[in-house]
Amino acid sequence: MKKIILVSIILNIFFTKSAFAYLDPGTGSIILQALLGAIAAAASYCAFYWNKVKNFFKKIFKKKEKTE
Amino acid sequence: MELKKNPGSFRDPAGQIYNYNGRVIRIVKNFGKERYEFLKKSGIINDSINKGFLINTKDVTEEFESQKTEKNCYFLEHEKLDYISYPYEWNFYQLKSAALHHLDFQIFLIDKDFVMIDSTAYNIQFINYKPIFIDILSLDKYREGDYWVGHSQFLQQFLNPLLLRSVKGIQFNEWYKGNLDGIKTSELNDILSFKDKLSFNIFFSVVLLSKFEKKNKLNPKKALKKLQNKKSLSKNSYKSMLVQLKNWINKLEPLKKKTEWDNYSSINTYQKEEEQKKLKIVNEFSKKFKPKILADIGCNDGVYSFESLKAGTKKVVGFDIDINSIERAYKNSVNNNLNFIPIYFNAMNQSSQIGWNESERLSFNNRNNFDAMIALAFEHHLTLANNIPLDDAISWLMKIAPVGLIEFVDKKDETVKKILSLKGDIFPDYNIENFEKSILMNGKIINKTPISNTRTLYEFKKN
Repeated sequence: MKKIILVSIILNIFFTKSAFAYLDPGTGSIILQALLGAIAAAASYCAFYWNKVKNFFKKIFKKKEKTE
Repeated sequence: MELKKNPGSFRDPAGQIYNYNGRVIRIVKNFGKERYEFLKKSGIINDSINKGFLINTKDVTEEFESQKTEKNCYFLEHEKLDYISYPYEWNFYQLKSAALHHLDFQIFLIDKDFVMIDSTAYNIQFINYKPIFIDILSLDKYREGDYWVGHSQFLQQFLNPLLLRSVKGIQFNEWYKGNLDGIKTSELNDILSFKDKLSFNIFFSVVLLSKFEKKNKLNPKKALKKLQNKKSLSKNSYKSMLVQLKNWINKLEPLKKKTEWDNYSSINTYQKEEEQKKLKIVNEFSKKFKPKILADIGCNDGVYSFESLKAGTKKVVGFDIDINSIERAYKNSVNNNLNFIPIYFNAMNQSSQIGWNESERLSFNNRNNFDAMIALAFEHHLTLANNIPLDDAISWLMKIAPVGLIEFVDKKDETVKKILSLKGDIFPDYNIENFEKSILMNGKIINKTPISNTRTLYEFKKN
């Protein structure tokens, strides 16, 4: 399956973009996406938990405000 | 009536656009048959239309049964747009709104296991200020592990032009028109300062990408090898990348540079009274003709366009060379929900027939479909500031629509004095008599209203 994906990616790169470039500039984008995708996913994961932490403290402060 | 192929629609072997008696028909070719059948069956087309992402489209294959061949499999009709515009004619906020529309649509699609197979900005058009996606055959099924094929294209056609203006304060329009594929990442990288590159987002999307591109071009074998060892991209990563880009673009604002028209509304040489007179004439003119689509040449921040809409004009396309002014006009039209499309327009270097075979993107003249026009305080910028002979300028203006309003500004006017102050008066033939003669060469003068001692508003009707 992975091989099929790989072949389809490579085919895509070669057949959908400019024919003038020796190697399609899309390769840079693929390499970057692997990096950026991982960072973005990790960031969204962190943001999810960061929001949880923020909400936890918000709740505590709200409770305190109420008791005051 | 014959199906006439749209010269700008040729890249996608899966289908192309045709003109049929003024209707917009997309023919799905044999190559795209299976994909279209899958998209149709999945319901994604209707879902996307209902959510406002995709242009209204209906399958009219039955009507075209006689024209069906082995190659021409399906016939789809798209809602016809009043005016086609191109990204190099948009202002910053239009391009930003188009970019966000594209990303929102992609996020919507990936949640339903679909992707877009390209990211061209030309696939977005505007219905008033709202962007709409027009190419149904850009949609495909998402396959686990897929990379975003249009990533690089998205950066070139949406992000980089926005960054050019946002980070460096450089207007993207002329550069974009010079290279229809947008602004190359490597070129943008070259003009960024060290400080600009310290931004996390810019570092990854511009600096690193252009480094990779350069490296791969120099050593393609190594790049291909690297690529073969790459793992597939997870769906979560794909989506997170889209969301992260969206959040970034959402925050982008133009780096403001003052232009000569910034204080037009407040400190121009017009008297409020003159403006009121002109508004009244525009209002009456619009009520008389009830134009379906009116061109406002030199629209500035849109005050006369909006008056025309108020009086019953269905849609106004406003043209102006000053980017800050049309951005203000655009924001106003968004805030007031007006049917107005602002276009960046340099009359001395209009959009021409460009792209493949000089017919991929249409010129300003070839897109003219206006039933009325107004050009207030505009003619003297062509004739006196840019030396266009008076009769040429008037003929050109009158070609735009069969009826219209043109304001004549006399040499004694303060703005004209300013234009001629350094240049000197090199225009002996510029006067109201010759202005009228120029109108009469192409049509009739219907009305003539003095606005002030130096300005007169003419209503014309073309022969």
